Amino acid sequence: MDLLEYQAKELFSKVGIPILPSQPIADTRQIKKLQIPYPVVLKSQVHAGGRGKAGGIRFVENTIDAIAAAQYIFNLPILGEYPNVILAEARYNAREEFFLAVVLDYQLKLPVLLGSAKGGTEVDLLLENMQKVVVEEEFSPFYARRLVTKMGLRGKLIQSVSTIVEKMYRLFVEKDLDIIEINPLGVGADSEVMALDGKITINDNALVRHPDLYSLYQENSNFSQDSQSLPSLPSPQWLDCQDESGNIGILSNSLGLALVTWDLIARDGGSPKCCLLIDRATESELLPHYYIARGLNLALEKLIEVRDLKVVIVNILGNEEITQSATSAIADYLELLQKKAAAKKLSTDEESEQETHLIPATPPLQWVIRIVGGQTDLPEAILTEMPVRWIEDLEEAIGATISLAKLE
Amino acid sequence: MNWNPSSKIIVQGITNTLGSYYTNRMKAYGTNIVAGICAGKGGQHLFDIPIFDLVEEAIAEVGEVETSIIFVAPDRALDAALEAIAAEIKQIILVSAGIPPLDMVRLLKVAQATNTLILGCGSAGILIPEKIWLGTIEPHFYTPGKVGLISRSNSVCYEVALALNKAQLGQSIAVILGKQRIIGSSFEQWLEILDRDNNTEIIVAIEHSNSHISPSLADFIAKKIQKPTITYLAGLAVPIERNFIDALSIITAQVSYSVPATNQEQKTISAWQKVGLKLADRPSQVPKLIKEVFSSF
Repeated sequence: MDLLEYQAKELFSKVGIPILPSQPIADTRQIKKLQIPYPVVLKSQVHAGGRGKAGGIRFVENTIDAIAAAQYIFNLPILGEYPNVILAEARYNAREEFFLAVVLDYQLKLPVLLGSAKGGTEVDLLLENMQKVVVEEEFSPFYARRLVTKMGLRGKLIQSVSTIVEKMYRLFVEKDLDIIEINPLGVGADSEVMALDGKITINDNALVRHPDLYSLYQENSNFSQDSQSLPSLPSPQWLDCQDESGNIGILSNSLGLALVTWDLIARDGGSPKCCLLIDRATESELLPHYYIARGLNLALEKLIEVRDLKVVIVNILGNEEITQSATSAIADYLELLQKKAAAKKLSTDEESEQETHLIPATPPLQWVIRIVGGQTDLPEAILTEMPVRWIEDLEEAIGATISLAKLE
Repeated sequence: MNWNPSSKIIVQGITNTLGSYYTNRMKAYGTNIVAGICAGKGGQHLFDIPIFDLVEEAIAEVGEVETSIIFVAPDRALDAALEAIAAEIKQIILVSAGIPPLDMVRLLKVAQATNTLILGCGSAGILIPEKIWLGTIEPHFYTPGKVGLISRSNSVCYEVALALNKAQLGQSIAVILGKQRIIGSSFEQWLEILDRDNNTEIIVAIEHSNSHISPSLADFIAKKIQKPTITYLAGLAVPIERNFIDALSIITAQVSYSVPATNQEQKTISAWQKVGLKLADRPSQVPKLIKEVFSSF
């Protein structure tokens, strides 16, 4: 989970990383009660990056300016995301700006300290000057000093900046963070430092042991569309790739299997559009029947809402319990679809005939169902009366999916 | 590595849903589960398996244990594994998925210092068809034979096994490494183990493309592994974002708000081609490549 800037700064402040006086604002009216003296910076609190360039950061000199700017920011989506909070913060004139981060290197299987003496928004310059120190043994402050001297810092800055790195590292370990980043760390006239912006990503699996962070998680998940998705519930996940021009939808119970399915369809000349996963419901946990059924139901509902799909392929492998739950959930769902279609046909038949020919006839969605691992089968009625094929062999299922998608 | 039916196995987290479901089935399959661990339930029995409060109490009672299978909640898995290591158990299968990465870092340091083999986290375990079942692999996808399978993903391994079965090629062992970005034993370690395994004649390494496929794996196979080895890289044609695993790439992606464009697929394929290794692009191609290898003997 990514924290918003103001939440990250709360954590910074708790461990003694200096931050500017600031105040989160959830409503434009609160601007009048601002405790911070002008001039002030107003910053959109969104997860998306690049908000400065998108217009989500405004400098204001007085209340009237501030109200107008706040209204503007609340109505400005950044990569589709509207802020629920604006952070009002004192202005700061930095003499220099540094970049600092602590992150886990999965290749080395060790934490790494990163720092650039050219922090800020010039990404190329920042990256060119990036320095790295691997924390090979137990952490000790000398690792932080090693980083800042590699960054080229001298004199007083060595101690003041390495102290910040030390505190970041402590947060990183104590709070099970995936990433902690300060960019920029502003340096003032007297070499004092200030965390002007920061990012914290918390490891989702560790949330259970940090009740303070878990409450932030609940706060943040209200902002997102899937407010129902608590970590333990099997809500279907979209695979992180989509092809607008595709016409095949994939539903699978594991990431690996989803990749195999998409891969084969693409290699054999078909075009997948999107893919839904219900792996949490079936892989690492043993969930009761109704969880799998519910996960599948949600997924199927999401899939049939996708525009321009011609075929849906369901590819599920698993134990007896999973395959049986999945088969009966799909049978129930298809029966429901069939009833709906029949009811719709009846009602349109009753309506005036001229209306029906105005509606372009959309061919019914085709289904290829492959569920392997148990003794299951779909009811005969569904297989004969609906556009549904039950195929156990992978290659055959892929072949059928592609040729159905190519039918006019 | 010596897996034999008399190896003693314990299960940590035997009473939770996943643990008890699979313990029962593993035992029925013939796996020699001698004890279960659950603090507070010591003295009770489950499926005729005695439960102990502590790992060391179990060992005092049943003698030396080769392997522990851990089913506990992810945030408690580090502790469970450290308890097993303290009791001198040398092989640990972490079925628990989603162990916080910093816990894994700590565990792997201890494992290295004590020479403990860690499989996982998020591993479905090991299966020797019709002999030993350790973990959550579904045995009915497999048939006994001579092909050794090492896979990150459990379900992709099922697909390969199904394709092999169809071609009458059975399997000597299936090892599931786990899908997390940070895992204990690697492809390299298991390739070496299967290279020495008398029951394995040919090895199939199965990786999927959203994890980082290291081109150095191709070099390793070419230089270090004697037995014929086939690699199946699932999902190379899928336009999915790759998970970065090194610190610099992770941070670069983060600060530039975009993923650096790399042609990882082509780089990976050419790494395999360069050393002359066989690369399958679909499950059904694996048995075909194996037959080519066997016919060339």
